[in-house]
Amino acid sequence: MNTGKITTGPFPDGRRNLYRILAILVFVLCIAGALSVPFYFETQTLWYKMGSDKTMLRTGQLAGMLALVFLFVQITLALRSRFLERLFTAASLLRWHRINGLFIGLLAVSHVLLVLVPEGLSNLPFGKKHWPEMVGMLLFSILLPMIAASHFRQKLKLDYHRWKAVHRVLGYLVVLLVTIHALYVSESFEHESLQIALLALFGALLVQVVIVKRLFDASSGQRTNGHSG
Amino acid sequence: MSTLRRAGVLFLFFLFVTQSAFAAARSWEMDKAHSNIYFSIDHIFSKVHGLFNEFTAEVNFDPANLAESKFAFAIKTDSVNTNIAKRDKHLQSADFFDAAKYPEMTFVSETITDAGNGLYQVAGKLTIKGESYDLTLPLKLAGIKDHPAAKGKEVIGFNGSVILDRLAHKVGTGKFYDMGVVGKDVDVLVTLELLADK
Repeated sequence: MNTGKITTGPFPDGRRNLYRILAILVFVLCIAGALSVPFYFETQTLWYKMGSDKTMLRTGQLAGMLALVFLFVQITLALRSRFLERLFTAASLLRWHRINGLFIGLLAVSHVLLVLVPEGLSNLPFGKKHWPEMVGMLLFSILLPMIAASHFRQKLKLDYHRWKAVHRVLGYLVVLLVTIHALYVSESFEHESLQIALLALFGALLVQVVIVKRLFDASSGQRTNGHSG
Repeated sequence: MSTLRRAGVLFLFFLFVTQSAFAAARSWEMDKAHSNIYFSIDHIFSKVHGLFNEFTAEVNFDPANLAESKFAFAIKTDSVNTNIAKRDKHLQSADFFDAAKYPEMTFVSETITDAGNGLYQVAGKLTIKGESYDLTLPLKLAGIKDHPAAKGKEVIGFNGSVILDRLAHKVGTGKFYDMGVVGKDVDVLVTLELLADK
């Protein structure tokens, strides 16, 4: 079990708290930005929904945007860069990663139900011309078992190393799928500014994965893996 | 002539007369690539055009035997296509066609009358969302000729249009019409090419 010690020494006094606040501020800004999308870049689909259908659809869109942010954050947490470890400790990053995973599951279920119910559950978007929605279905069908397997790994007696290898690959896959899904399913993302923002975030995550992975490989002996099973 | 022979001749005559009177009109097979059911409807100021990708047409037609001629169309409501997938999904929902509950619309002719100049008034029953309505579809015979590209085939063409009040046929409750967003009159254009062996 990871002890939660700061692996590479603390920041100078005062600076750590400042960086912590800045990191939390970036997270809050990302959430606020994501939540503003269904209002600021309202989809035409919302124009043609009324009453409870409209409320459900908008709430579903909000849940989807939150899930998107949380998925990006999830990868960042899983990478456990030295910078974040020094700010928050490895143990708290791991704890946050676990809780975040459950939130992602809840948000994904809410998103699917709240978006599909107003259009009718007997009117599901299957077929080639609804491929972005089907990417979402694929994403959902990967995400839920992934969360369940992680949460009940010990009860299910899953081998830690095998589970971790699969979990890591699927983690990268779901982020790729959620980016494609958001870019092509939502009319909001037809706006160039949003496309650029999402692709920039995806690019930043990719850079982070490559850089952190390289650092991790270089100093793999020094890092703890959070293995609790 | 013996009684038996007389009865035989009468039987053959009866057979010939009934065969002629009840002979089905010539059967035509739809050329799917060149037959379409298009529609257009007002949206605030503009017109939205669409079509149904999947439908069947059973056609028996002979200008000299209209009594036995027949048109029967079956349209898959979930094949509605306006070139925007999300709008198509909305059209398939309970707000419009309710495609899950009513997967087909049909039109079956009952009588066909020659209105002159190649125009035929095809009267029949239009069934939408489980309810049937009388409808007369005017179809203009564009012509019959040897198919220019397919040897041994003849091609017949029909074009016709009709305006349907979608609200009278319960395609929508009227909420979008009351908002001034979606019109109620739908221009429907039926354009057919049908093939038969010579």
